Amino acid sequence: MEVKFAVKRYDPITNADKSTQTYTAEVDEGDMVLDALLQIRDEQDPTLAFRGSCRTGFCGDCTMTVNGKGAIACRTKVKKAWDGAEDGAIELEPLKMSRQMKDLVYNAREFHWNKFRAVEPWVDPVQPPEKGEHLVPGGHDKHLTESMRCTQCGLCDQGCTVLVVDKTFVGPAALTKAYRVVADERDSRKRQRLDKLSLPRGMWDCTHCFEASEHCPKYIEPTDRIFDLHDMAIKAEAGPPKVVHHYKSFAASVKAHGWLDEGRLAIETEGFTNVKGLMKLLPLAVKAGLKGKHPMPYMLHKKRPGHEQIKRIFEKWESKG
Amino acid sequence: MTTNGQVKTKYAFYPGCVSKGGCPELYEAVVQVAEKLGFELDDKALESAGCTGAGVLSKEVSDPINARTFAMAEAAGLEIMTICSTCQGIMTQAHHRLKDEEYRAMINRDFLAEEGLEYKGTTVIRHMLWAIVEDFGLDKLKSMVKRPLNGLPIAHFYGCYMKRPPELMVPKEFAKTRKTALEDVIEALGGKAVKTSGRGKCCGFPILTSNEDNSMAMLGDHTLDAKAKGVKAMVTPCPLCHLQLDGKQADAEAHKQEEIDMPVFHLPQLVGLALGFTPKEMNLQRHLVSTKSIEEELGIGVEVKA
Ligand code: SF4
Repeated sequence: MEVKFAVKRYDPITNADKSTQTYTAEVDEGDMVLDALLQIRDEQDPTLAFRGSCRTGFCGDCTMTVNGKGAIACRTKVKKAWDGAEDGAIELEPLKMSRQMKDLVYNAREFHWNKFRAVEPWVDPVQPPEKGEHLVPGGHDKHLTESMRCTQCGLCDQGCTVLVVDKTFVGPAALTKAYRVVADERDSRKRQRLDKLSLPRGMWDCTHCFEASEHCPKYIEPTDRIFDLHDMAIKAEAGPPKVVHHYKSFAASVKAHGWLDEGRLAIETEGFTNVKGLMKLLPLAVKAGLKGKHPMPYMLHKKRPGHEQIKRIFEKWESKG
Repeated sequence: MTTNGQVKTKYAFYPGCVSKGGCPELYEAVVQVAEKLGFELDDKALESAGCTGAGVLSKEVSDPINARTFAMAEAAGLEIMTICSTCQGIMTQAHHRLKDEEYRAMINRDFLAEEGLEYKGTTVIRHMLWAIVEDFGLDKLKSMVKRPLNGLPIAHFYGCYMKRPPELMVPKEFAKTRKTALEDVIEALGGKAVKTSGRGKCCGFPILTSNEDNSMAMLGDHTLDAKAKGVKAMVTPCPLCHLQLDGKQADAEAHKQEEIDMPVFHLPQLVGLALGFTPKEMNLQRHLVSTKSIEEELGIGVEVKA
């Protein structure tokens, strides 16, 4: 099968201009994109730079952009990419979130290694261990199996909608790693970690848009791991006061009324004593009110029939701990 | 069921908090448009249902609350119809987890039994957008259009939860209808669906509290991209997206230092306009960004206040 690849090239030494070079290769039906790249480098162009290691989708090294989408080159079939090619060639570029270093190699340190480092991705148990070693009873790590499979390929970051507007956001890849250590029962710094993850540009900047989960090739569901981190933080009352108020008010409203009281949510999110924050709400509230868009006034919120049952469910959950 | 040649479909109506709170115009538009289409919205079946949790409440408490809602619809023998992407997304995810028999049994035993309820796992939850495309049919919708949108360039803005996670929201058996449901409705109404970069992206609403700058940057990018592509209005099946796209647009203009002026419709409002409802009936006057430019494009006379 003859296919064409349009590779976005860049050589930092000889050629400052980024250009696209087209290669034609004869590949087998079952070949992966990484196989084809290795073949091109061996047979046609030894200067072509790309990353690749395990060739089995295990190491997360050969991440690149294939036809505009983040992909693991060793798990992407050439045939499928060729079928999806729009301009008569499979388009290959480095990951978009970071700086192109050379050809398909992006700057991993600048982008995700620094983010991983920021979440201190190692378990920190109490020392010295009580029984000579840090034992985890069988089944107590069940919830971690998914996040332990993370190859740190960075594809979830590639899909993240927040990183598009703010490169300083810690991002789903590092947050998935953070979950892996925060949720490990051996770790002794859970609270401290949750506080740190709650700093600006940390976990509360995530919008839960599920792009990360959609982009993860390992089905780790990074978005759900961030939800889990948020749950842990709210339970521990870690997190910026405004966010904690927001979550608590939301829960209190549903618990009391069966549904959400938007007026109360806005006010309690700012905090009753935060006059400046409350004043900030006013212009929009007035504008919306004049248009007949206001949520029902605070305190007049009607309880929904069945609200006692919702309250009972909440109490049951709270009693489960 | 047929009444006057119309397919009548009955649903357990789940309006969600926002259509009764920050976006009352949505609720009113849904009720009128549903009636016109012959959808029967049973508002009793889920009258005592709780909030879905909206992704704010922990799944540990929102799954039982949602299971309770599903059990009530199941007992009434009805599909649930939502009118909010977020309600739909959160319910679909809970629905998926509740397919696990062991988990469902635990929820039934620990949370629902006391009220005499049991969820057996059969409830179907369908957003109004899907109900229009899947149950009602685009051809029928087309035939009912009284005021075609005249090729007006309109951007479809799904919001996160109508599309993701894809294996739940756009599963293989629904790929045909759901992948382009909103575009297809726009086209059936006579408009021109314009692809913008924000079409399947997050509007930024969920991080208004934690990072308003990023939230405004997202909103600004999506609306300005639409404007650059010649779009005259946006349409969304999600009231939270509407609160952001319409309600916070002025803030995004300040953030971007650029005029945006992009009218944004709730899905049923756009359908309603094309079916011949007046702007007043669709409560367009409640929007913060004026929709007058669209009314003029469609040749709708300026409304005299009753
Ligand atoms: S969570 Fe998935 S997409 Fe993100 S780095 Fe890990 S393996 Fe890659």
